[in-house]
Amino acid sequence: MVAIGTGLLRSGEVLAATWNKLAFTSTNVADAMKNANYGGAAESKDIQLKLPDIAENGASVPIEVTSHIPGTTSIAIFVEKNQNPLVADFELSNGAEPYINTFIKMSQTSQVRVAVKAGGKAYTQGKEVKVTIGGCGG
Amino acid sequence: MKSKSSLVVFALGISIAAPIAAVEPAPEAKSNTIPLELEKPAYATPWVRYKGWPEEKWNEYSTLSTLKPSLPANPMKIEGAIVGDPKKGEKLAFDRTRGGSCVACHVMGKPTPSMPGNVGPDLSAYATWGRSDEYTFNYIYDHRSTNPNTVMAPWGTHKLFSADEIKDIVAFLKTQNSPAEFKDKLENPATRPVPVETRDNLDPFLNEAMAAMEKGAELFVKDGASKKSCASCHADPEQKFKTWAATMPRNEPRLGKVMGVEEFVTRHARATTGEEYPLQSSQNLSLSIYLRYLANGQPINVDTNSQAHKEAIKRGTELLNRKLGQLNMSCVDCHTAERGGSKWIRGQWLGEFRGQLDHFPTWRTSRSEIWDIGKRFQWCNVSIRANELQPGAPEYGDLELALSALNNGLKISVPGIRH
Amino acid sequence: MADEMKMRATMQGDVADVKVRMTHIMETGLRKDAKTDKFIPAHFIDQIVATLNGKTVLDAQWGVAIAKNPFIGFRIKGAKPGDKIAISAVDNLGTKYGGETTVVAAK
Repeated sequence: MVAIGTGLLRSGEVLAATWNKLAFTSTNVADAMKNANYGGAAESKDIQLKLPDIAENGASVPIEVTSHIPGTTSIAIFVEKNQNPLVADFELSNGAEPYINTFIKMSQTSQVRVAVKAGGKAYTQGKEVKVTIGGCGG
Repeated sequence: MKSKSSLVVFALGISIAAPIAAVEPAPEAKSNTIPLELEKPAYATPWVRYKGWPEEKWNEYSTLSTLKPSLPANPMKIEGAIVGDPKKGEKLAFDRTRGGSCVACHVMGKPTPSMPGNVGPDLSAYATWGRSDEYTFNYIYDHRSTNPNTVMAPWGTHKLFSADEIKDIVAFLKTQNSPAEFKDKLENPATRPVPVETRDNLDPFLNEAMAAMEKGAELFVKDGASKKSCASCHADPEQKFKTWAATMPRNEPRLGKVMGVEEFVTRHARATTGEEYPLQSSQNLSLSIYLRYLANGQPINVDTNSQAHKEAIKRGTELLNRKLGQLNMSCVDCHTAERGGSKWIRGQWLGEFRGQLDHFPTWRTSRSEIWDIGKRFQWCNVSIRANELQPGAPEYGDLELALSALNNGLKISVPGIRH
Repeated sequence: MADEMKMRATMQGDVADVKVRMTHIMETGLRKDAKTDKFIPAHFIDQIVATLNGKTVLDAQWGVAIAKNPFIGFRIKGAKPGDKIAISAVDNLGTKYGGETTVVAAK
């Protein structure tokens, strides 16, 4: 099933793809992975994740992903406990290395899951990041 | 839509045809010769608390400027066992809206939620300690009745919990008879690693406050209402301001108070370039960051010997010890090792005074905002449920000087980056 | 809202290391306005494309959980000093953002 992005101004010539609404609005990580075409991903230690053990701030958590799987063509990031787990999906081409560095939001302590596609197959790796709870209260 | 493809090259050190002979008033000149506007408040009036901050006012409790009497309650006489609801008590003990919850400071057995703190003792086996219900009740209601210097809030006297609610908490404590089970070493405050800041705070892609520093450099050379810029009198700021910020704050006799870089920018700009850069404005923060940035790597070096500074540091030190707000906490309660310093409140590490100043103004990633030390003081006040003072309040000046004296020798590193 | 995009691309061996910082609120649509108790409408960049001399190297879709003022770092093998890297992005309200930089040799 493909979500149809009607009514949105996406006329930019390089922004031709349709936003994968189905995957981005999925509310659990299994659905999100399936809808983003990473369903059935196999665990792989060849995906290297650089994430803090503890994030003092869920609003901006640094993440660096390097895939050592040959022929990696895309990298997707999921935060399992976010209301919508899919954070981003990066397609790589024309010499882009299988590497992404960005900052993500986490609503609470959660497993952060990264999935990659290589040679038509999906692979995944995860790590728990604890989001600090402040001491001073609400 | 514009794009910046490279770092802004600062327009520094350019020569400026000053309309008047540019007699260099060195920043180190005697303070009473420096032009300053002295009459108006340095902040935008009327002062209103920042958007998004708690709106509650705690008028009945002490602030840094106003002492309100708060007397320890006489211990209540309680015969026999307290009857309370331990389930309700557990809920209250973990309620973050009541001043941070008990687990901010205490590990509390099996039901302990994620990432408890350890400012206070582990209460997991409290039921086995042999304390009477009367003792426990009064300890929570107002521990000052037996320990005037306690760090613990007077939960009952200061109306954070009713007597009945405290009875429920006592009932919950009486169920505490087994150690907490931590899923991993990060959950246990005794084994949780101390956070270390390793980010490159001068990387403009990491630290968004670097854009403010660049803006400060631009403002420095921009003509103000008087057709003069900062650079009209201060050519070569990189040389001239190499150490200046490291000597701030300092006492300003004409104002009768201690003034930091930020207030200096406000008052000096009004008197020279004619620009209005009130405290907490983006221009003020930008110029303040820029002026501190020029002193990066310099050891903090505030004067601690002059009479005026000795007196201000004494006042500031008293304020560091003053119990404030509904939580009845002082700066030293949270930031000295003898008390809460170098311990955890919930998942947050409480730093000590030394090391808490060199990076201000700092980028706060949790808020996407630049905070100067004044705003940090205000937030600490609000966090312990004490009304904040207006920016540039004399008490904040005294605090900043006392804190700077404790940080003398540490190198300035601005803009900082923190969570 | 400023529409600035800050970019830098530096050679590291035979790879161009690219850093991009955009200014965008990245509002999730999941937060409530404390005063009105209504949800603040979502406003976030949802697509971003990077090109090297006009050829797409990165084509990404984002949800609401990329942090405010998005940062992205990526690497392009085979790029050379002088090559042009361009970014185009669009948010869910249709506003477009763009920036361009030139790859520079390692310092």
